[in-house]
Amino acid sequence: MFKYTVKRLLQSLLTVLIVVTVVFLLMRLLPNDNYFTEDQQMKLNIEERTELLRQAGLLDPIPIQLFRYYGQLLRLDFGTSRRIQTGVAVMKIIESKFTVSMRLGLTSMAISLVIGVLLGVLQARRKDRLPDHIVTAYTIFVNSVPHLVSYSLILVFGARVLQLPSMYSTRNVGKSIILPIACLAMGSIAHYALWTRRYMVDESTKDYIKLARIKGMAQKDIMLKHVLKNAFVPLVQYIPASIIMTVGGSLLVERFFSVPGMGTLMTDAINRYDTEVVQTCVMIYAALGIIGVFLGDIAMMIVDPRIKLAGGGETR
Amino acid sequence: MSKLKQDELFRVIEYSSEAAERIGYSNYSYWKSVWHNFLKKKSAVVMAIIFVAVVIFSFVALAIGKYQYSELVSNTKLYFQKPNSEYWFGCDAIGRDYWCQVWYAAQVSIKLALLVAVGEAIVGVVIGCLWGYVRWLDRPLTEIYNIINNVPTIIYMTLVSMIWGPSFSHMAIALIATGWLVMARNVRNIVLMYRDREYNLASRCLGTPVWRVLTKNVFPYLISVVILRLALSIPGTIATETTLSYLGLGLGIDTPSLGLLLRDARLHFLEYSHLLVFPAVIVSTITLTFYLVGNAFSDAADPRNHV
Repeated sequence: MFKYTVKRLLQSLLTVLIVVTVVFLLMRLLPNDNYFTEDQQMKLNIEERTELLRQAGLLDPIPIQLFRYYGQLLRLDFGTSRRIQTGVAVMKIIESKFTVSMRLGLTSMAISLVIGVLLGVLQARRKDRLPDHIVTAYTIFVNSVPHLVSYSLILVFGARVLQLPSMYSTRNVGKSIILPIACLAMGSIAHYALWTRRYMVDESTKDYIKLARIKGMAQKDIMLKHVLKNAFVPLVQYIPASIIMTVGGSLLVERFFSVPGMGTLMTDAINRYDTEVVQTCVMIYAALGIIGVFLGDIAMMIVDPRIKLAGGGETR
Repeated sequence: MSKLKQDELFRVIEYSSEAAERIGYSNYSYWKSVWHNFLKKKSAVVMAIIFVAVVIFSFVALAIGKYQYSELVSNTKLYFQKPNSEYWFGCDAIGRDYWCQVWYAAQVSIKLALLVAVGEAIVGVVIGCLWGYVRWLDRPLTEIYNIINNVPTIIYMTLVSMIWGPSFSHMAIALIATGWLVMARNVRNIVLMYRDREYNLASRCLGTPVWRVLTKNVFPYLISVVILRLALSIPGTIATETTLSYLGLGLGIDTPSLGLLLRDARLHFLEYSHLLVFPAVIVSTITLTFYLVGNAFSDAADPRNHV
């Protein structure tokens, strides 16, 4: 177990390193002009610019720049923003945004996990009856219709019928955070419901469930104590991994409701070519994703002691 | 038992090539059974008809519309015009005909989705077959898969559009470059499952070439998975396209797409619902019907469901 954890951790680090390298190299494909602020671009002539670039080390060969960047990362120095907030350390910018995003993401994940699993249990218990069909229709709708459309529907419903604010506001967080959370949760609820149902239905056809039924156990107890517990094992794996989904979704949700979070920061940084900020954001996202998958495997081992992941590197 | 009866029991029948043919060849045809199974599901057939109708209509709609996309101009008098007999879907925030924009965008989305789906299928199946069949490729491909898969797709997409700029072809290539992964993994798992089945071993021992084993014995099992993936990837591609265009990273500003339409409408559709309703209904119809048809078709294509 310990050996496996260490091995996986090292592997994850390697993956983050590769992602960081690829992103760094891609960034070097961009023209150097983006090093300068708009103001500087107008004032400075070409010689002055070249001089500044040389001082910043941006004219060195790429491998040297790359190793210098690794060095920076080891010292946890992520550079300074050039465009969004000129001269401010990237970490400082990200810090405040990160808390906003995380609050949004974690709340919606907690909500969707509870509701999603409950819906899945409901479906499995009332299989092929009305509740099952309704939730299945919901999951099909969520999975097939573009999220942008369903977010718009939630927005219209929330703003028109429930009179909720249609934009996030930093001053009055309480009410304005409801719709973004609802949007984020909508997708994951469908996800959890779908998998809970599938695993529970798979599980409930097994022999030991038949035995439990024969020996006269109450249907409710069978469902909760045997079926759900066993069905939960493969599900646990997806819980941390769904951070990835939340991350992907949060880019859109944050833009949609103008939440000042990581997603908005990153799209801003991309649109304004703030390379340092983009690099760091991508690194954080990649690290989150990898940690998510890793934690998922660990969580699965804890929940089900029969599972031993020794090999590593297998595809799930 | 008398000798006579024994002779009666074992009578030699004359060889008839016609009869031999009849026994040796069953009437089973893969595609015929697929088709047959699919037609049994009435709801799926209806969905398929709706899908095809919408796709065809998206071409007709542009032809019968009163305005050409390239000739659209902003018109101050028509800001937020509600739908009427002249402007069937009304007008957008700067007074341009919405009918023509919506249908044009729908067409762009369909084209992109089909292109990406086909590209994904080709790359995914080829790599998946190699991944599953060629043993020494397993490890490196698995590592590549883990590396690409561990990072949210949207991040690759944003990087691509940041570096090469948003455009139709860049987006198609980038979507294929990340989309083949799931397809390849599914194909790989199936190839791995069937490659060493006894009948395949027997075939190989009898000297059947590898490509024939793959195409005749393994491929039928792949079809249902490939189709299911295609069915899921078309709504997925449309969704990714709308997301990216909404974030300003997808198609160029001059290519109308559903994402861009919804982005422009975002600030106004609470008051002017027609800006949301028309694109939303059309894109939902396309994705929803295709999703359901794909699911039904993949069930029908699974040889285990054939009689």
